[in-house]
Amino acid sequence: MSTTAEQVPSEVPAADRSALLAPAPVQSGLDRRTVLRGLGIAVVILIVGLFVPDVISDETNMGIATDGVVLGILALSIGFLAHRSGLISLGHTAFYGASAYGLAIATTQWDWSPMQAIVFAVLGGTVLGLVIGAFVVRTPGVSFLVLTLAIGQALHQLVVQDSVRGTTGAYDGLAVTWGADDKVAGLGQSEIGNAASFWPLAWVSLVVVLVILWLVGRSRFGRVLEAIRENEERARFSGFNTYVPRLIAFTLSSAIASLAGALFALKASFVSPDTLSFVTAGDSLIAAIVGGFATLVGPLVGGVLYIYAQSELSDSGNLQLFTGIALVVAVVFLRGGVVGFVTDTGRKVRARVATTRKGAGR
Amino acid sequence: MTVALEATGVTLRYGAVTAVDSVDISVAPGILHGVIGPNGAGKSSFMDALSGRRKLSAGTVKLGGQDITKRSVTWRRRNGMARSFQKTSVFGAMTVRTQLDMVARKTGEDDLDGIVDALSLRPYLDEVCSSIAYGHQRRVDIAMALLGRPQVVLLDEPGAGLSVEESAQMFDHIRALCTDRDVAVVLVEHDVEGVFRVCDEITVLNLGAVLASGTPADVRAHPEVIKAYLGSEA
Repeated sequence: MSTTAEQVPSEVPAADRSALLAPAPVQSGLDRRTVLRGLGIAVVILIVGLFVPDVISDETNMGIATDGVVLGILALSIGFLAHRSGLISLGHTAFYGASAYGLAIATTQWDWSPMQAIVFAVLGGTVLGLVIGAFVVRTPGVSFLVLTLAIGQALHQLVVQDSVRGTTGAYDGLAVTWGADDKVAGLGQSEIGNAASFWPLAWVSLVVVLVILWLVGRSRFGRVLEAIRENEERARFSGFNTYVPRLIAFTLSSAIASLAGALFALKASFVSPDTLSFVTAGDSLIAAIVGGFATLVGPLVGGVLYIYAQSELSDSGNLQLFTGIALVVAVVFLRGGVVGFVTDTGRKVRARVATTRKGAGR
Repeated sequence: MTVALEATGVTLRYGAVTAVDSVDISVAPGILHGVIGPNGAGKSSFMDALSGRRKLSAGTVKLGGQDITKRSVTWRRRNGMARSFQKTSVFGAMTVRTQLDMVARKTGEDDLDGIVDALSLRPYLDEVCSSIAYGHQRRVDIAMALLGRPQVVLLDEPGAGLSVEESAQMFDHIRALCTDRDVAVVLVEHDVEGVFRVCDEITVLNLGAVLASGTPADVRAHPEVIKAYLGSEA
C-alpha cells in the first residue's frame, strides 16, 4: 500500500467516518443472508448426497463411501478442535469408542431400543468430553496431546480388563443386537449393515455436523476461539475468559466424535477394543491432517481417502507405510492438506488466467 | 482530585532478585504518567505487576479506589484496566477490523471509529494484522488497550521498535487520546526525550526502586537523576 497512514484519514470528511466502518460486514460475522445461503447450500448438498447409492452401484465402493463418511465425521471433530482451538488431540477415540461401547451395552446388555441407545451413547460421550475437557484444556500444546493420548489409552485398558468382561466382552468385543421390531431410520438389525441402506443415516449426520461446525466457525463465538488460539494472553488482556470457550469447543468436538462412534457401532453391529485403540486415534488425526483441517471439508476428505487406501492396500499389508508417506507429503509439501492444496492451486490458476487475459487485452 | 490508579509498595521478587522494590504510583484521569529508567531498572516488571500479569510479592494496586491486587487479568480488563505490550501483542491471523470489532463489542466501546481515526488505522482495517508493518501493528495493540474507555491504560514501551518519526507520532497519538478520553495512562518508555515532551508526571526507576518522581521539570532538575541517569544528557 503506497498511501501512508496519515494521509488517508484526512481525506475522509468527518461526517462520513462512521459510515465507512459500519457498512462493511465484520469478516467472520454471521448475518441472516449468509446463514440462509449456507443453509440453502446445505439442503442442496443433503438432497444430492442421498442419491449417491444410485450412482455407486458397486457394493465395495458403497462400503468405502459409508465408512469414509463415518471416519470423516470423527476426523472432522478432531480437525475442528485443531483448527479453531489449536488443540491437537490424540485421544478422541475416548469419546468415539465410549459412545460405540455405550450403544452396544445399552442395546445388547440392557435391551434398550436403538434410538434410545444412540441418544445415550452420544450424550454419554459428550458428558465424558466435558469432564475430561475440564481438566485437559487448561494445558495447551504438547501436554494436551500427551494427556489426551493417556486418557484414550486408559479407557482402552479399562474395557479389556477381565473384570469387566461381562459388560464389554474384553478383547472379544461386543455384538450390537437389538429387538426384531426396533428400527433406526427405518432400518432393522438385518438391513443396517448394508452400506447403501445405511448411507442416508451417515449422510444426514454428516451434513448436520458440517452445518453446525460451519455456523460455529463463522459465529462470534468462533471468532473468540480464533482469538484465543492466536494469542491467549492478549485475549485475556482484552477481557475474554479463555478457559470456558476452549472447554465448549472441546465438548462440541467430543459430541461429534461420539456421534461418529455411535454410527460406527450401528453400521458394524459390533464393537471391539480397536475403536479405543491408539491406531484409531492416530489414523483419524492423520486423516484430518492429510485432508487439511484449515478447511471445513478437509478432514472429511482425509477420512474418505483413508478408508479408500485401507481397502486398496490392506491386502498387501502396506497400509501403514503409505499412511506414513501420505502424512509426510501432506505436512512437508501440501500446506493445508489435500483440500488446502487444491483450493490454493485453484486460486493460483485463476489469478494466472486473470493476468494473462489482462495482458492479452492490451 | 480523584485518583484512577493508586499502587503502593509494589514489590516483585524473582527468587533472590528484587525486580521492583516498593514502588508507589498514583495517576489521575487525563494524566499521562511516564515511567523511565535504564535497562533492567524494572520498568516492564513494574508494568506486569500493575497489570496483574505477575503476582505481587508485596503491595496493593487500587483501581478507582477499589483494591484489585488479587483480581485476574480478565476481571481487570472488564472493569477498567487495560494494557499494551512491549513485544507487540495482536491477533495476527485476524484482520484489523475483525479484532478491533471483537474487542470493541466485548468492552462496550461506543466510538470505535474515533479510535481507528485517532490512531490512523483506517487504511489497514481489512488487512490481516500480521501482514501490516510493525509500527501499524503496534497501533492496533494500543487501540485494543484503549477500547471500552478503561479508566487506566498501561502502555509498555509503545515506541519500541519504531523509527524516530513513528515514535514521535505515537507519543502524539497517546497524548491526544489520554486527554480526549480522560484516561489515566502509565507510559513505560525507553525514549526519555519523548517522555519528557508529552508526559504530565514522570517516575524514574533505578534498580527497581523510585529514584525521583514529579513533574518533568522537577525530575529534570533532580540531582540524583542528573547524576545517575541523565548525566550525559543534562
